[in-house]
Amino acid sequence: MAGINALRTINHIFSSGHHGAQCAPYAVLCLILFLTGCEQRPLVYQQQVLALGTLVDISIYGVDEQQAAKAVTAVTNSMEAIHHDWHAWQPSKLTYINEQLAAGNSISLNKEQQQLIQTGISLARQSKDLFNPAAGKLIALWGFHSDERPGTAPPSETDIKVLVKADASMSKLTLDNNQLSTSNPEVMIDVGGYAKGYAVDQAIDELRRMGINNAIINAGGDLRAIGAKNDRPWRIGIRHPRQAGVIASLETQGDESVFTSGDYERYFEFNGQRFHHIIDPRSGRPAQGTSSVTIIHRDASTADAAATAVFIAGPKQWRETARAMGIKEVMLIDATGTIHMTEAMSQRIHFEFDNKTTKTIIVP
Amino acid sequence: MTRADKIVVALALLLLPFMYIEFWGNSSQGEVVQVRSVNSEGITLPLDQDKQLEIAGALGSSLIEIKDRQVRFIDSPCQGKQCITTGWLQKNGQLAACLPNGITVQIIGRDQRFDAVNF
Repeated sequence: MAGINALRTINHIFSSGHHGAQCAPYAVLCLILFLTGCEQRPLVYQQQVLALGTLVDISIYGVDEQQAAKAVTAVTNSMEAIHHDWHAWQPSKLTYINEQLAAGNSISLNKEQQQLIQTGISLARQSKDLFNPAAGKLIALWGFHSDERPGTAPPSETDIKVLVKADASMSKLTLDNNQLSTSNPEVMIDVGGYAKGYAVDQAIDELRRMGINNAIINAGGDLRAIGAKNDRPWRIGIRHPRQAGVIASLETQGDESVFTSGDYERYFEFNGQRFHHIIDPRSGRPAQGTSSVTIIHRDASTADAAATAVFIAGPKQWRETARAMGIKEVMLIDATGTIHMTEAMSQRIHFEFDNKTTKTIIVP
Repeated sequence: MTRADKIVVALALLLLPFMYIEFWGNSSQGEVVQVRSVNSEGITLPLDQDKQLEIAGALGSSLIEIKDRQVRFIDSPCQGKQCITTGWLQKNGQLAACLPNGITVQIIGRDQRFDAVNF
């Protein structure tokens, strides 16, 4: 608005001055400056929906509003279907599968179910079982199989030991053709560690099938971004695990997922002590030493599982676990606030605040 | 350079800071509060007009307050009351949510630095 007023002032000077004709090109130049200023802000269709038990932020660029709105509805429905089918504690396909496994029966799975279970088996193997979707009983023991865990006492040492000893792991599952069975009835599948990534991957595939090649699906802070907006890459902020605001930012390249696991996401407090939801299958207790892990990787399922596995691996073993899972870009912020990251990650992210006082360790 | 040339150059220079703020600055002007609910149409309210608002959600109604360019949940029929403990939202992009009741409150400005935030 003020721009137009300024132009009017310029025109007024021109029309009253002696050199009006000579100056007209300048006026045109000014006008062009303003026009390009407007055009550089591309129109992104953005909508928030409640899905996957969280807020999902969908950004779409490059198609008309009607098509974008249609796409948002479609992917919301499919994410909700995945959430519903694989819910860990409300009656679902998954709770049925778990009942059958506990009873020693084998179950026939459809294509989609096989794909999700197979993905879980191979991700667990890559992580050497630090990422363990078969340890559902441990998660349930800690009370995280509820929407809001009340601040009651953590489980007893005896109960924890029994479940750690039971050694429930994905390698105890056999998927033969479409038949799933287990040699260990203590196995209880909980896809919470990678279902969000899986749902985001499915949603991105669906968008592409609808002809949308520039989009972000941000499921409660974990996201996959494809394409760009008008030749400019998508800009992603990474929130600080201990303070308000953004710690770093990055620009996505083509097709990438950015996933973070943090001890602040789900937790309960008892007698002044905080217990978070990322359970180390080796100790049966919340993993120690890490406050958050951020992963950049192409597919969201792997990024999701790797964020959990690297978090559990901790400040001493994180690099090894990331390498085993084929992850190049990793940032781990440990419990003391020290930032550990791979060289590849350090080249991608830009710190948004003065981090001279923060200890940063970069490894190849 | 003629006198008009100089005026144009001077004006262009004067306009520069204005244009920078207008197009690249993190301007807080024109910020709005977006309230969304699973049970009703979303509502957009200006952040600079104090108001209390009751909105229906999945469990019941939540009470939201806008005051002194800030917004917060005052009451919500959920168990954990996380939406209330979130406290005042002040900055562009900040969000408070009552997931059990299916209601979100977010400050949306004209210029967001990021396309998405990871956490």
